[in-house]
Amino acid sequence: MSDLALRPPGWKMPNLPVWSWSFLAALLVWVLSFTIAGQGAGGMLVAALSFSAFTVMVGLGQMFVITLGPGNVDLSIPATIGLASAVAMKVMGGQDGMIAVGLLAALGCGLLIGGFNYLLIRLLRIPPIVATLSASLIIQSVGISYGRGLQIKPPPALTDATFARLLGVPVLAIAAIVLSVIAAILLQRTIYGRTVLAAGQNMRAAHFAGLSVERARLLTYILSGGLAALCGALLAGFSGGSSLSMGREYLLSSIAVVVLGGTSVAGGRANVPGLWGGALFLFMVSTLLNTAGFGSGLRDVFTGLIIVAGIAITGTRQALR
Amino acid sequence: MKRSLMALAVALLASTSLAGMAAAETSGKRIALSNNYAGNSWRQAMLQSWEKVTKKAVADGVVAAVDTFTTADQEVPTQAAQIQNLILQGYDAIVINAASPDALNGAVKAACDAGIVVVSFDGVVSEPCAWRVAVDYFQLGQQQVDYLASRLPQGGNLLEIRGLPGTSIDNLIHQGIAAGIKAHPNFKIVGEATGNWDQATAQRAVSTVLPSLPKVDAIVTQGGDGYGAAQAFRAAGRDTPIIIMGNRQDELAWWQQQHRANNYTTWSGTIAPGVSTLAFWIAQQILDGKQVPKDVTVPYLTVTQDTLDQAVSTTPVGGVANKEYTQEEAAQAIQANTKR
Repeated sequence: MSDLALRPPGWKMPNLPVWSWSFLAALLVWVLSFTIAGQGAGGMLVAALSFSAFTVMVGLGQMFVITLGPGNVDLSIPATIGLASAVAMKVMGGQDGMIAVGLLAALGCGLLIGGFNYLLIRLLRIPPIVATLSASLIIQSVGISYGRGLQIKPPPALTDATFARLLGVPVLAIAAIVLSVIAAILLQRTIYGRTVLAAGQNMRAAHFAGLSVERARLLTYILSGGLAALCGALLAGFSGGSSLSMGREYLLSSIAVVVLGGTSVAGGRANVPGLWGGALFLFMVSTLLNTAGFGSGLRDVFTGLIIVAGIAITGTRQALR
Repeated sequence: MKRSLMALAVALLASTSLAGMAAAETSGKRIALSNNYAGNSWRQAMLQSWEKVTKKAVADGVVAAVDTFTTADQEVPTQAAQIQNLILQGYDAIVINAASPDALNGAVKAACDAGIVVVSFDGVVSEPCAWRVAVDYFQLGQQQVDYLASRLPQGGNLLEIRGLPGTSIDNLIHQGIAAGIKAHPNFKIVGEATGNWDQATAQRAVSTVLPSLPKVDAIVTQGGDGYGAAQAFRAAGRDTPIIIMGNRQDELAWWQQQHRANNYTTWSGTIAPGVSTLAFWIAQQILDGKQVPKDVTVPYLTVTQDTLDQAVSTTPVGGVANKEYTQEEAAQAIQANTKR
């Protein structure tokens, strides 16, 4: 995380931890947004927390995958979200009593997809970027024939839970924070987590050090699939039903929050708090552009530019270290 | 024997109701459907209606064969390649729901040059040699504001949810809404969000603009996005405005439930998925030698408070309110459009 020792002596920027930059950026955009709008500071923050919960959930999985080292990325997240949301809604069938069963079914589906991704990568020796992308075509087709495109409503209790607030803070965001803390402990305090970090720094060295690198890789892809599935099931509850295109948003954002948050794209260095800064920043950017009343074309251009700028700045800062 | 007699009788019956030409003339023709997406409830209903109506038409001997081809993604090149294949397979007519209004024109032109009748619907193509079956989206936009004017005579603040950027449908509905506001100047668009006809996208987009907006009295939409907007208002703890709906079952069921709870009333309208069957009959009529104008516009399907209960009970859970067209209705639509 804050590896001060690696910093060159000529470093002039203030001594802030890596993750704080994304938070500062989010704060800046937030202040700009409600200044332009003249109102709605609280509303913007609550909405940002709610939606960031989903982004962080998939971002955590993507962060572990990217930390594994160059070439590792999970592009099947959007398709997994779509299929898992359909599975969850179908199993729940609108019944409050079936929520737990539905969540487990979705989770199982995500774990299977993660395992399948790893099989493609390991047994068929396909690069992860191609393997997860082609897996998502398969997942999507399964989703179409399984769900028949129907939008089945979630059980009322699930919807209520996704909307609930505790002292004004969305319960979903609190759950995602708890999940983040668990992920941070998993990453820093367990043999699995240390193996992921070591593999990302040098896979051969990690292997010669006696770490079971391949087992860690398998677990990581499974973890990513499981988190995407969980996100899909909760998202279906939050937005009132499943749809296959539901996850499309999360292809770019799952990767963007990882990079914006200070995790190294080259692998070997991960940053959990930064995910939150990145997610809040992304949501605030679309709030700002929507509030300022940009048309959809300009809005997309600006979103792209801001993400590129953000990643470029984080990237150079890492290169300087 | 008995079956073919029946088929003959049906064909004769059908032909008498049409002006002149005998329907049996198309009995040797083969028609293909080229469809670029199947992943939402509207497209699924569209395919089911198509299957049902065309199967019967084949059984009745109206046409020789009808085949359905769907590509899994929404990509233009995949569909263009698919159309090239259909040309090689020698179909007499290709019915298309196109991924793009102009990017498929090359493939469509090649089909026309091969003597194939091309009928596009819903996602129409601009290539002049093809026919287009569409609803009046401009009017759909306009009528939303007209309805709101009847509900809120003193006017009010509107939030507009846009559809997939760059499509002809999004532009037409938007222009219709703008025209409606010109006619009812006491309405004002206070915010805009891009929902891509998808409830999750709409919910997110509305959530980003909502905190900056004053009180919103009503939401004008494009279909598939209304329920997402309702969820965003709920999450923000705001009162639900009048949200124009797009005939999805979940939207209609929510409306019915809200009506029972607090007398919530709104209006719903969009293109019926069964428009695919109208496109089928129009292709058949063209093959039959009938003169058909290149642009055939049909009314969109609406649901009002009076027809809500019936619409909810006849629409499958998770589906879209639908209407399938008959050969007679196709003939009527052709006639109505010829007169114009």
